[in-house]
Amino acid sequence: MSDDDLQTDGGTASALPGESHGDDAHLPPKSSVKRWLVTTNHKDVGILYTVTAMFFVLFGGVLALLIRAQMLSPRAPGTGPLSAMAYNQAVSLHGLIMVFWFLSPLAFGFANYIVPLQIGAEDLAFPRLNALSYWLYLTSGLLVFTSFFQGASFAGGWTMYAPLNIPAFMPSIGATTTVLALLMFTVSVTVGGVNFITTIHRMRAPGLTMRSLPLFTWSILLTVWMMLFAFAALLAALMILLSDRLLGTTYFAATTAGGSVLWTHLFWFFGHPEVYIVFFPALGAMAEIFQTFSGRRIVGRKWFIVSMVLVALQSFIVWMHHMFLTAINLQVKTLFMATTIGISLPFDLMVFALIYTLIKGRIRWDTPMLFAFGSLVLFIVGGITGVFLGAVVLDYEFRGTYWVVAHFHYVMVSGVTALIGGLYYWFPKMTGKMYDEFLGKITFAVYFTGFNLLYFPMFLAWGTPRRVFAYRPEYLVWHQVASVGGLILGISFLMVIYNLTKSLLSGEEAAGNPWPYSTTAEWAVSSPPPMENFPGTPSYTSGVLEFLGDDESSESSSGTAAADGGTATDGGMVVHEGDHEEEVHIDHASYWPLVIAVFSFIAAVGLSGLQLGSYPEGLGGTFYMATSLIGSLGVIGAVSGMGYESFTAHEGGAGEAWPFEGVENTKLGIWVFLASDVVLFGAFIGAAIFIRVDYGWMQWQPVPHTAIPGLVNTYLLLTSSFSVILALVAAQKGSRNGVLAGLVTTFFLGIGFLVNKAIEWIELFHEGVWLSTNVRASTYFLTTGLHMGHVVAGLLITAYLIWRAWGGAYTDGNDEPLEYFGLYWHFVDIVWLFLFPLFYII
Amino acid sequence: MILDAIAASILQSGIVPEGTRVQVFQEIYWVFLGLGTLVGAVVIGYMLYNGYKYRYQGGEDKDEDRPKLGEIPTGGGKGKKLFTSLTLSAIIVISLIAWTYGTLLYVEAAPEQPDAGVDVHVEGYQFGWDFTYLNNAGNSTGVETTGTLRVPVDTRVNIEVTSRDVSHNFGIPGLKVKTDALPGYTTKTWFEASQTGNYTANCYELCGQGHSYMEATVVAMEQDEYEDWYASQQNQTSTQNSSTVAAGGA
Amino acid sequence: MARTKLYTIIYVVLFVLATAQVAVEQVDLLGYWAAIAVIAVLSMVKALFVAGYYQHLVWEPRSLSYLMLIGFVGFIALTVAASYSIL
Repeated sequence: MSDDDLQTDGGTASALPGESHGDDAHLPPKSSVKRWLVTTNHKDVGILYTVTAMFFVLFGGVLALLIRAQMLSPRAPGTGPLSAMAYNQAVSLHGLIMVFWFLSPLAFGFANYIVPLQIGAEDLAFPRLNALSYWLYLTSGLLVFTSFFQGASFAGGWTMYAPLNIPAFMPSIGATTTVLALLMFTVSVTVGGVNFITTIHRMRAPGLTMRSLPLFTWSILLTVWMMLFAFAALLAALMILLSDRLLGTTYFAATTAGGSVLWTHLFWFFGHPEVYIVFFPALGAMAEIFQTFSGRRIVGRKWFIVSMVLVALQSFIVWMHHMFLTAINLQVKTLFMATTIGISLPFDLMVFALIYTLIKGRIRWDTPMLFAFGSLVLFIVGGITGVFLGAVVLDYEFRGTYWVVAHFHYVMVSGVTALIGGLYYWFPKMTGKMYDEFLGKITFAVYFTGFNLLYFPMFLAWGTPRRVFAYRPEYLVWHQVASVGGLILGISFLMVIYNLTKSLLSGEEAAGNPWPYSTTAEWAVSSPPPMENFPGTPSYTSGVLEFLGDDESSESSSGTAAADGGTATDGGMVVHEGDHEEEVHIDHASYWPLVIAVFSFIAAVGLSGLQLGSYPEGLGGTFYMATSLIGSLGVIGAVSGMGYESFTAHEGGAGEAWPFEGVENTKLGIWVFLASDVVLFGAFIGAAIFIRVDYGWMQWQPVPHTAIPGLVNTYLLLTSSFSVILALVAAQKGSRNGVLAGLVTTFFLGIGFLVNKAIEWIELFHEGVWLSTNVRASTYFLTTGLHMGHVVAGLLITAYLIWRAWGGAYTDGNDEPLEYFGLYWHFVDIVWLFLFPLFYII
Repeated sequence: MILDAIAASILQSGIVPEGTRVQVFQEIYWVFLGLGTLVGAVVIGYMLYNGYKYRYQGGEDKDEDRPKLGEIPTGGGKGKKLFTSLTLSAIIVISLIAWTYGTLLYVEAAPEQPDAGVDVHVEGYQFGWDFTYLNNAGNSTGVETTGTLRVPVDTRVNIEVTSRDVSHNFGIPGLKVKTDALPGYTTKTWFEASQTGNYTANCYELCGQGHSYMEATVVAMEQDEYEDWYASQQNQTSTQNSSTVAAGGA
Repeated sequence: MARTKLYTIIYVVLFVLATAQVAVEQVDLLGYWAAIAVIAVLSMVKALFVAGYYQHLVWEPRSLSYLMLIGFVGFIALTVAASYSIL
């Protein structure tokens, strides 16, 4: 086939449809360890996520069993299998591990595997970033494991309230490590969010409009949108907490204005969307399973989608219902009571839609359906008990009691239940083997029994305060029943793992489509699918799914494809089609994601030793310092390596791309990333404003003595933005010298910014104004410091661009990296335009 | 101002539960529990019924329009039934919450007689509770206790709660009152014991290793017994003060 | 490209507006809150110029502008609600 037949949008061809990939996209065979370390294929990454998540459920489950063992009877001080410190760590890490390291990764195991198949894409938009997300997830989990060996792990609840979370009250290094682990996890999630948003919007098959998206993909799309904005707020909270722990700022000190309530605002602004982030994929799996196993299309599908969108939006305006007993005023409590009830309504609609789907069905009660149906029953119980909590006067009593614990376990673990259903549902597709159906049904019976024995007594014993192991004697029998139930539930998880492992090794072969009424594209290919996913180019333009050959695909793709400019890369160098005589074999192996994650792990371990601005004395301190340095340098080197690596990703825009038609994948990825960066800085600025309001607005004096240094920095950054845009213009004109002049000017202006700031800061330091002096200094240094970190990162990239421009890149028609860097640099400039008046003038 | 007017009109209508916070909570709780159980039973029962009725039994499929592999998704119709159900559940849920709003206003309302009642400043710490009795101006009367809070029955006790280290939460389940104890902030609430006896106060926010044992006892006493006790506390304080003065002045 | 001239004009405008912000504080003609409002508006205007022209948003599909707007709205919601809650 000739190059003319390739369907592209003007850029480099990606994996060619119909071409055989006998050597599996240059990846080692699946039986080799190396394959799993260097793969970037979404199906492999999906399996990695799923398997790893099952390890973490065991980890979190063991902690749960320890909790339940301690609670077998009310414990007098010093008695019981766990010490108070150990118990506090157990409850905290149980929550953190289950919410972060188990639930979402399990969902994203499916999302990775299934979403590209459902939308007709060959892979995600940024395969190496996808692998990076996974490896950062794994190493962040290893950090959690490490934290137990560094004094003690975090012991302040998964909610990590301030000021219990600062070194004055929680001095162990392991607590810092836990926070660093969560920060690394947040980076993993943000990278993944950018990837999925770009993919689902821009890499859909022709004819697959947003309205036609499968419900599982819809649920993942909304999940990642929520993730993008919510995790940015968590990132801010974690960075501020780390700043207090590592550097000695005083945001959360007990005596600080703002302090404890600031943490609750930041955490719950993230925390509430988080529970929907965790639940939505389960909802999507439920919808798919209900439809497939009852043989009826989802009732009111359009309204189901509208409801999901409404919940995603509303999830950001209910967070203060976690704060009804704090010092917030009555008006705002009333507002959030109303919004909380408001968010229950779309859920009502979705629950009814699922139930009505059963009517006139031919329901097959196979294991996936048992779990999905069971999940809905459990979710209804959890949802009803949530309404209780929305009534403020009831919440006044339920706060901090086991009513809350029972409620959220019913809703969250009902999500797990649906995901287990999804695990059975998609297991044949992912492995090519069928699970043991009889054993699956028994497992469900054990699971459902264990679940209700564990969690229902918690309603009956709801007077028990949370996170205690001494309680009133009248609750004894309920806690004992719950502990037994926990054991049974744990056994059922082992049964799931046993069933799937056994079936993987010796189960029956599964067909491409083992389910009679399935509709989505993943069931139209073999089990497991081939490396390139489809036997042709998927297209829905005729009204049904078809796989088109090359000639047909060039006619059928939408006109928007031609308008799309840009080359298909994910940041690496572009491989030009014309460079090779024979067909291009795309190499999708890369070890950089793993290397970046490993060096990040090392850097995090090193940083955990930093306390209140200094490393400890002696050998330990030296170890931590050296490790920080090696890790940080390694990350910078590895990121550069990944940037320089030649890697060709699949491009988008050939099918549906609403609403981002005409925005090439990498550009969209950068804009999406910047949107989350807006929320990150927004949370920092919001925190500073909140603290100032609490402190007394007018009593607050800006830390810098005059606005002049800030104004000079404003001039420097504005000019550097100007020079960057001139560099881009020069590149478009093909002038290498112009490009170099612009970039070098930018670089030196940026250095000037840093030097100016250093002078200012050194002067303040000599006056005795530094990070821990007071909260005004803390907010000033940390917020402008975060910005400075962005400037430094930008200058490192500028240096790299100068080096490449010297070699002639960017003037041969490929000026996108300059444009994309410009987007980032102008953003950094814009942030300063707000920081300058906030910290220097008003 | 507007809220006060709404509060007044709602409270006068008799719909809103009135009485001590214990009575009020019980009434609302049981209504929610009854309705919640009813709704849950109906919905889950309906689910189980349909799940059983429409189970696959083999044989001919009379409905030709089953989902097919590769189709463009469409909805299954019956949107009207969906909206009826949604409206019904919305009415139930919104009515329930609106009903409790009246009680919220009642609980949050300023006391009718600001100077009547007992005022106590509650301070949580790792791992116990300090109580300081206040006069009408909000200043300490010198009577301070640790671990035990004595109050008269049938009297409104106004508490302002804070912490001197980490975040705690002060709650007396037997008297149905609870509020956060936050460093740097003061939260305010009230309770009224209608029966004498001992009640336990617990901490409801994880605060460190002693969290499970961070208790206090609330002793509700007859009015005259309370006044006797209070007077004796004040005498002790003034005796200590005068002896200190004497010692210092000599 | 003709855009060089546009970029230069925008640069000058940005320079002037930045100076104006400091002038507003120094000159002290307005009341405190009025001055803050003016300074905030000036920051917004500068940001819009940089975003619109240097980041090319005026020439890109509108969806990208909405994307950034969502982030900005999130920041405003959190800051305003949180600050109001403790008043």
